[in-house]
Amino acid sequence: MGSSGDNNDGLAFQSGGQSVVNCQSSGMGGNPFFASAWDPVVSISQHENFGGSSMLSQSELTNSPYPVVMENQGISTTSHLVHYQSGSSYVELVPKFPSYGSGSFSEMVSSFGLNECGQIANTGCHPNYTTNKEANIERTIANSAESQEDHQLTEEPITGASPDGKKRKRVGESNSSYDPNKNAEGERLKDPSGHSSDVQKEQDEKKPRTEQNSGANLRGKQSAKQAKNNSHSGEAPNENYIHVRARRGQATNSHSLAERVRREKISERMRLLQELVPGCNKITGKAVMLDEIINYVQSLQQQVEFLSMKLATVNPELSNDIEKILSKDILHPRGSNAALMGFVPGMNAHPYSHGIFPASIPVISNANPQFPSVPHTTLDNDLQSLFPNGI
Amino acid sequence: MTSIYQINSATRIRFARRFLISLSRMRRASTLGPPSDEEIRTRTRRIRIVSYSSMAFAVGSSRAWSRALVLKIRNRARFRGILRNKCLASKKKRVIKRHKVSREMSKTDMLRRLVPGGAGMGICGLLEETAHYMTCLATQVKVMQSIADHYSK
Repeated sequence: MGSSGDNNDGLAFQSGGQSVVNCQSSGMGGNPFFASAWDPVVSISQHENFGGSSMLSQSELTNSPYPVVMENQGISTTSHLVHYQSGSSYVELVPKFPSYGSGSFSEMVSSFGLNECGQIANTGCHPNYTTNKEANIERTIANSAESQEDHQLTEEPITGASPDGKKRKRVGESNSSYDPNKNAEGERLKDPSGHSSDVQKEQDEKKPRTEQNSGANLRGKQSAKQAKNNSHSGEAPNENYIHVRARRGQATNSHSLAERVRREKISERMRLLQELVPGCNKITGKAVMLDEIINYVQSLQQQVEFLSMKLATVNPELSNDIEKILSKDILHPRGSNAALMGFVPGMNAHPYSHGIFPASIPVISNANPQFPSVPHTTLDNDLQSLFPNGI
Repeated sequence: MTSIYQINSATRIRFARRFLISLSRMRRASTLGPPSDEEIRTRTRRIRIVSYSSMAFAVGSSRAWSRALVLKIRNRARFRGILRNKCLASKKKRVIKRHKVSREMSKTDMLRRLVPGGAGMGICGLLEETAHYMTCLATQVKVMQSIADHYSK
């Protein structure tokens, strides 16, 4: 078998690109199974530009019983066979894999062992994972391959094993002890969740492109993917526009692509908001999150109202010089939350006020003797009328 | 996402300074010893407007919400007298409409109402403005609190 990896040589173990495929398929445990499955794959494996996806096969390689076979192969090829993951992930993996190329397989394996699981497609660990592997490998090859033809070839067999594509998500969790069943379940669960880990149809060699894609596509659902991508995100040069790839199993309609990008944007911003709003770490879901955001903004505005009322009652005793001193004090963010508790009786004690001012002691009433006389009568009546949030 | 929702200390300083200056201006105007309830109400309203405007000016025109807020304040100041006459006539219509609208209001609509300038944005921009607005509100509250504490000592 030449290293070119002809279609006929699908089962060829010796060819550079194909051997990888073989290794994995052998891991799957059936030559005949291999033959049918790998043919289209083999054609893809011809491409030796696998650089990007070399990482993927880490876990699989360690498990595969074909170290000898792998040796001669370009490591890159093996890497991609491992898992399909979206092309972007492959690209990112490449840089981490310095030794790939003509290095010995053992080197690769060892390096894989050291590498984080996150890099490897999650499915990497199961030699028994025949169908999935097949699909994954096919996908990985598809991803690694630059030509679109491969894509066409691999698509069909892969579609048969659609859930496999989702494996990637488990990157962080999967280890050599990966359980294929678990993986299958995980994938199936992920499927309805929204094709988050779909394989990208085309393999784009360009890193910036995939980086962009990962940036655009990886939001939300795939935390593992993000972990991978973030590590490489610094490498991609900025482009004027974002390339978006259609994920596996999704329509390539321009409308749906744009919608997907938009959805990811929105979910990204929701995540940012989640960090800003205190106590919303565990909330999942836009509706609840929006409620929390609205409540938080309303509570902040109420606090402004309350404080403005408090300031209105304070006597203007201080001179301008003190204002300058004040401004210096205010420079340092103060945690003086005690002030807010005083207004609670007259107003709805919004949970945020408690959250924001945890150690609040009703100091106000003591500090400002004038104050208690004012609020209880005016608060109920006036504050409610003063509440129109904003101005 | 490249936007950063953190407020610089410079913004805080600008806000604090502006706010304090306007506060001192207001204080000079008031001469009564024990302020009446009505006066307190008026003052509260004024101080509230002053705080929002100082925050909006401190942020500047870099954010959509601050721009909208600044415009709102300026328009208010100009057309106060004119609008008062008009408001009485249109109040009836407004009341009737509100009943209908309140049922259909969605969460995004509520958020648009809360965030100044939110009506003219898509959800994507609205969320971003909300985040920045939230951080600005938080600093506003902190600064006002420290001022109030300082004055009450």
